[in-house]
Parts: sequence; C-alpha cells; structure tokens
Amino acid sequence: MDDEIDDLVPQKQSLFPMTADDIVDNALHNLDEKQAQEVTKKAADEIVKIAVEKRKAEYRSDRAQEEMRNLINNANLLDQKVDDYRINSTFETATGTTSVEIKKSKSNTLILIAAIALFLLLAVILLVTRI
Amino acid sequence: MEIIIPVILAIVAAFYFFNRSHFSPLPRRVSRATENTELIKVLLNLDDESLKKLFHLYGEQFGDGAARYARQTYLKWKAGEVRPNRETFRRFLLQLPKVMSFDLKCEVLRELREAYCARDSHRLTVYTDNWKEPLRPLVESIIEKAESAELPPFLQQRLRWLAEEDMEIAQVILAKSQARQSLEALSMLKEEFSNIEHLLDNTVGRRQVTHVLRLPLGTITLKIRKR
Repeated sequence: MDDEIDDLVPQKQSLFPMTADDIVDNALHNLDEKQAQEVTKKAADEIVKIAVEKRKAEYRSDRAQEEMRNLINNANLLDQKVDDYRINSTFETATGTTSVEIKKSKSNTLILIAAIALFLLLAVILLVTRI
Repeated sequence: MEIIIPVILAIVAAFYFFNRSHFSPLPRRVSRATENTELIKVLLNLDDESLKKLFHLYGEQFGDGAARYARQTYLKWKAGEVRPNRETFRRFLLQLPKVMSFDLKCEVLRELREAYCARDSHRLTVYTDNWKEPLRPLVESIIEKAESAELPPFLQQRLRWLAEEDMEIAQVILAKSQARQSLEALSMLKEEFSNIEHLLDNTVGRRQVTHVLRLPLGTITLKIRKR
C-alpha cells in the first residue's frame, strides 16, 4: 500500500487477503466440502475483481491526466485571444468525477468597478449636500 | 396583543414550509407489493453474466414458458412499467436462492447490499496543500461502514436464506471486499490531487474544482481550492 494511503487509513485496519484466510478456515470447519470450495473460489474471485477494478481505475486516471493537460492548453489559448470565456469540463478519474470550471469576464469586472465608482460618487454627493 | 399569536404562528408555519426538506420525514410504510417490486428491481440489476445464469436457472426450475415470459418482461419489471406478482417474487427471491450457486447468491447479495445498506454522503472544502487531515475522519468512517454494514432487519426476516451459514460468510467476503476497494481507490487520490494542483497552477481566471469521490458505501464531494 502506498505511503499516502497509510497516512489516511487507520493502521489497525486489517486487510482483505489476511482475513480471507480466517473466512476460509471458518468455512472449512462449518460447511461441507463443496460449499467450502465455493467460498474459497469466491474469495479468490473477489481479489481478482479488485485487481481488475484497480487496473481500470489506473487507465481512467491516465486518461484524465491527459484530458486535463489539454484543458490547460485550451484555457491558456483562449485566455490570450478573448476577454470573456467560461469553460466547463468533467473528467472520469480513478476515484470518481472531477468537474472544473474556468471563467474570466473582463466586462463583469468593468461593471463591478463602475458600480463601486457610482456608489462612491453617490456617497460623496450625499456627504457634500449634508455639509 | 391578540394579533401577536397568529403572527408568530404564521412565521413558524412559513419557516416550516420553506425549510421542510430539512425536517426528517416520518418513516414511510411501504406496502408488501411495493417492497416486492423494489426487491425484484434490485435483483434484476445483476450484471449480464449473472442475469443469464439466473434466467437459465429460472427455466430449469419453472419451465421454458415461465422463463420466456420472465426474459420478455424483465425490462418492464426493472423500469416499473409492469409490477411483478407475488408468485414471481416468490420464485425469484425465495425459491431460486435454494438452488443458486454460492457465486450467484453472492452476486444477489452484492446487489442487495448496494441497494439497502445505508450510504454516507459528505461535502467538504479542502485545499491542495492540506487535504489529508480534513479527509481522514470521513475516510475512517466510510471504511468502518464498509466493514460493518448490515442489511436492514426487515430484509433478513423476509429473505430467510440470507441468514444461512454460507451467506454469513458471503457477507464477510463482500464487506471485506468493499473495504478493500475503498482503500485501493484512496491510494490513488494523491495523484489526482497532484493533477488538480497542476491544473490550478497553470491556468488563469476564476477556477472552481469539485471532485466527487465515489466509494462502495458512500460519496464525498470535495470542493478543492488553492491558497
């Protein structure tokens, strides 16, 4: 297990391959031979299933990394060419979904500055008229 | 003075009306027929291979005609367009498990766990330079939940085969498997945060990044920021 996950997960955590032995032991004691075989097979199948899912997740991670690189390039190109833009992207990653929104709006900034300036102007006028 | 009480009552009523989604609803009593329909829907969520095995077994036990009808109707059962009758429920969920392989029963159990074990949902804001600390308690709780999650009592009472010894072992296998899947997913988070940090470092403008971390028994929605 990676170092970073050791940081996140409590150390007392017992992991699947270790406890699978206990499960099989119990099965051998309490079930008939055929049932015990089925249990052993299922436990092994689960380990394989987890490994397959991990591979799929790694593939998704590589693809998301590539797509994010493309997004960075596109966003920077757009930033050089236009003043107002909004980009929404979604990536299927190893652990879930990442959604990114990048936006830039010069006209909104100008409107905001104008509104603040107007407000200040009104405040000054009010102050002057009161004096 | 007498107008104050109606005004207060009106304010309280308005507050309740506009915030009614925050008040926990009274437990809803579901009819047996609805419960059966839901259970059949869950069963029919099996993956293609398991579904094929299920219908094969259904044909063996109840005849080709019944199997043909089930194959033709299962999409309608799944979509809720046709409500399965009591006999269908009994066949699928009470009689078939007696002859199912351990593997197939495990897959049915997996679907039941997916549908009926309570799932956690958390939202959290984290920074790219400090995401592990705030995430730690949620991760611990979800992994612990994966290990200890149990099906609701009503289900165990209705589907008695779930209490048999081999199914108890199946529960342990699936619970450990789900906990392990959570760990495997989390082991890849560092790389994902590194990708997101790279994106935030190399773009300009206003950026909003949200990551939905999906684990077998819960989701954590992370709003990611850079200081």
